[in-house]
Amino acid sequence: MTVGFVPDIDVVPSLDNRVGAGATTERPASAAVVVQIKQVSLPAGQRLSHERLHEIDRVFFGPFFREKYGRGGDKALENDRIRYYGLIQPTNDGGELAGRRYVHEFDTMTGCTRGWHETVDRAGNVRQIRPERNDGATRHYQFDSNGRYRGSW
Amino acid sequence: MHVDLQTVCRVFEDVLNGSVSREQADRWAYAVVQEEEAGIVTYSPPHERERIWAGVMYLYGVDTMKAPGEYLHSDNDISAAMNAKLGEVADREAAMPLRTLASGRRNA
Repeated sequence: MTVGFVPDIDVVPSLDNRVGAGATTERPASAAVVVQIKQVSLPAGQRLSHERLHEIDRVFFGPFFREKYGRGGDKALENDRIRYYGLIQPTNDGGELAGRRYVHEFDTMTGCTRGWHETVDRAGNVRQIRPERNDGATRHYQFDSNGRYRGSW
Repeated sequence: MHVDLQTVCRVFEDVLNGSVSREQADRWAYAVVQEEEAGIVTYSPPHERERIWAGVMYLYGVDTMKAPGEYLHSDNDISAAMNAKLGEVADREAAMPLRTLASGRRNA
């Protein structure tokens, strides 16, 4: 199954630039498709760089998550996790907030996932997060435009 | 779990007319996401899976607030999102009886 990108829905490109630096334009592919990877033999004692490993992780796990959660881009983190960013769901209240998006994080070492909703301002700064907690409780954590924690409610 | 386009449309409409709270819509969408993660969701019609999922992912978090007691999204935001994500399908389905009728006349 392939899913085409719908350019005129939910797209606020400027807001995704910040997280889009490591984003890919690769189209989602079916998870059932097995791609044969060319074997590369490294000299003894030499290991793949972290950056290269992260890139391999992104390519390998992309089909499982990108289609569902990563329409706004994805980013490999230093701690072997990959974050998938949803598209911005805009708000038009005329204020400083631009909208929200869902972020899905996958730990490539443990297979665990977690997710949260982010509210972003028009400059692309994350101003609020709302984690999805196992107990179902809803709590918003707010930050100022410089990323400093302001409090929760 | 079975999710169809009409159900997603109805949740949007129920949120807008106030018969379902945004919190309830969010939890419904969250349940769909959980079931999707478990791989036990079927979509109807199957070829509209992408559109259904887009609607579900909008409803997931639709109760986000920008301040205590103040929702991030206005009703206008939600209405616009509904039209953007599901509108074409709704229009297509509304037009379908006419096409069926026209087709029937051609076949007659």
